[in-house]
Amino acid sequence: MKVEFTAAQDALRKELRSYFEQLMTPELSAECDEAMGEGGGPLWREALRQMGKDGWIGVGWPKELGGRGMSPIEQFIFVEEVMRAGYPFPFLTTESVGPQLAEFGNESQKRDIVPKILAGECLIAIGYSEPGAGTDLASLKTSAVKDGDEWVINGQKMWTSLAHFCDYVWLACRTDPDAAKPHKGISMFMVPTSDPGWSCSPVVTLGGVRTNATFYDNIRVPADAMVGELNGGWKLITSQLNRERLSLVNFGPTAEMFNNVVRWAQQMEMPAGGKLIDEPWVQINLAKVRAGVEALKLVCYKQAWAMSEGTLEMADASAAKVYGSEFFIEVYRLLGEIIGQASLINRKTEGANAMASRIERLYRTASIITFGGGTNEIQRDIISAAGLWMPRATR
Amino acid sequence: MDFGFSEQQRDVQNLARQILGDNVSPESLAQYDGYKADRFDKALWDKLAEAGLLGLAVAEEYGGMGFGFFELALLIEEAGRSIAPVPLSAHLVSAALPIQQFGSAAQKQRYLPGVASGQIMLSAALTEPYNEDPAQPILTTATADGTGLRISGDKTAVPFAHLADRIVLSAKMGDGVVVVLLDPKAAGLSMTPMQVTTYEPQFALSLDNVSIAAEDILASADRGREVMQWLTERTSVALCAHQLGASDKAMRMTASYTAERKQFGVLISTFQAVGHRAANCFIDVECLRLNTYQAVSRLDGGLDASNEVQIAKIWAGDVGHRVSYAAQHLHGGTGIDRDYPLWRYCTWLRYNEISLGSSAKNLASLGKRIAAGEAFCR
Repeated sequence: MKVEFTAAQDALRKELRSYFEQLMTPELSAECDEAMGEGGGPLWREALRQMGKDGWIGVGWPKELGGRGMSPIEQFIFVEEVMRAGYPFPFLTTESVGPQLAEFGNESQKRDIVPKILAGECLIAIGYSEPGAGTDLASLKTSAVKDGDEWVINGQKMWTSLAHFCDYVWLACRTDPDAAKPHKGISMFMVPTSDPGWSCSPVVTLGGVRTNATFYDNIRVPADAMVGELNGGWKLITSQLNRERLSLVNFGPTAEMFNNVVRWAQQMEMPAGGKLIDEPWVQINLAKVRAGVEALKLVCYKQAWAMSEGTLEMADASAAKVYGSEFFIEVYRLLGEIIGQASLINRKTEGANAMASRIERLYRTASIITFGGGTNEIQRDIISAAGLWMPRATR
Repeated sequence: MDFGFSEQQRDVQNLARQILGDNVSPESLAQYDGYKADRFDKALWDKLAEAGLLGLAVAEEYGGMGFGFFELALLIEEAGRSIAPVPLSAHLVSAALPIQQFGSAAQKQRYLPGVASGQIMLSAALTEPYNEDPAQPILTTATADGTGLRISGDKTAVPFAHLADRIVLSAKMGDGVVVVLLDPKAAGLSMTPMQVTTYEPQFALSLDNVSIAAEDILASADRGREVMQWLTERTSVALCAHQLGASDKAMRMTASYTAERKQFGVLISTFQAVGHRAANCFIDVECLRLNTYQAVSRLDGGLDASNEVQIAKIWAGDVGHRVSYAAQHLHGGTGIDRDYPLWRYCTWLRYNEISLGSSAKNLASLGKRIAAGEAFCR
């Protein structure tokens, strides 16, 4: 065991850090701020294509799939650095659905969609939840019915984030309403948002971030729009979620924010004299964040390593998701306390401190991932059952 | 970056787990409860020596296996898993390692072969009453006496002082710190037994003008502080490793219990409130594991680990406390029943939490380092 990065990994990180310093122009940063950290604007798209051209998006992908052939650890270093730079990286596409398509997709998906993902030219939203199917995802009702060589899709999805600027929805549909167990009658489809039967309407959230309700009205897709096997969707959903969980709790942005708050507090002269950072309670808050970030870093990298070894454990993926999502909320509280009143000021206020107003926004958005990506109650069920062998109640 | 164990590391783990698993049981531990007997299993000690485990990190030229700090930490993790009645941390980490690192050729020749063979036992006097920084002794002072020293003062909570052949001890000398190998039989030294929460034999030492020969000085006044910081970092991490083994075991014991215990006609593990509390322990123990291994890995590789050691100890304190109470709570009355093995773990989790600096103390210290710009996230 050697928990330190290799010299090559350190060099890669350095290279990426200066790469993103160049890439993140003030104009791009401003556009991303305007998009509430979601991306989707023209400069954002251009930057994504640039990353694709420069071979970064698939740095840890096998060469035969168009990547650079490094490991998931290098892939994670890349994602950490792109997120540290403040670029809203479309990790659902690149880190979770993309690898699923590369592994389980059919020839046309591998030929037509995967290269576009690596080129930064294709974006995919995830269509799981429905008005009546959230945590109990297997009860979903959106249907795909076979008609000749085609599938006809009808239904509604909720919380289809990013869908308003995505090219496809990775859509979970019921293909066997009579399956013995509900999760055995689900298949996955790649549904183009350009279809006239597709529509979406915005849902504005506490954090100001837009998500969507999406509607599927007699959308006809060819047979090869299906991913994996008929009625074999559940396995794809769970392994996609395991991958997503790691990306959701990437520690990079938090590490960067911690460093920025430390630098700020070191310089902040108190009107009554002295520096803010000399306050013992400020130091304690910072130390709590620092100790927590360290754990998150290790949890993330252990999983990236496990992915490269092919030994990613379900309980570990869930533990990372629970720990990270709940820790983020704590971080925004602890750092917000240090910043004080300024951490309540929206960035649109004239003269607002950009770092402080970022915390103002993040504190409002942080609750999303304690339930999004599989609610933490279910994650804890998974941990006690798969990690500690505790028999659980049947549902 | 590699989170997998090497074959050598796996061998050490398996060997230690097997020997400790075969020789330590609730029944064997019961004989020491309440100080009925010294909490020291000589037969186990000899078996560990025979298997080469006491000499894991001792150089081959002194009869050891010449492995690194990582393998030693894995042994101590296993000692925590079984809460074995042998003072591995004091003997191997606080005493033998600094002798090997900083000792004279004569000192190494005199002590290390016996460390590896188990024929001698070493200990360390790290703290003074209400002064818990081993690198800054205040109450114990040294003066020059020919080529040797005279030492007076007080130390507290010294494990196995009555059985040790030598005790690593620091004393203030002018502006510096000396480190000596104290003979527990020296004239002017008195020891008073202390009753500790874990029932480990520990002693308060009182030194009255104790004479130390030149050959027993491990570090002179200009180097002593560095030596004490070096061994304190490693001892802190050893406490983390012990805590990791103990908390992992307490957690798994709890999970197994909930998978057997029925109430309302069903296993209590099927209640979400129960499963979730256990899941919190799983997350906690994983965080402790990774932070401990990181600190071990950095020390093993000769890298600076000041921040990583403190962070690991913060986790060791918090996780030990939380796992201990969750484990007791989920066991109900069974957990506090002294006929069931959990309670001993709880005392060790507490011991490791507080020893050499609690979470609060380490947070404050890390906070100072952050303020000084010494602990940015890399």
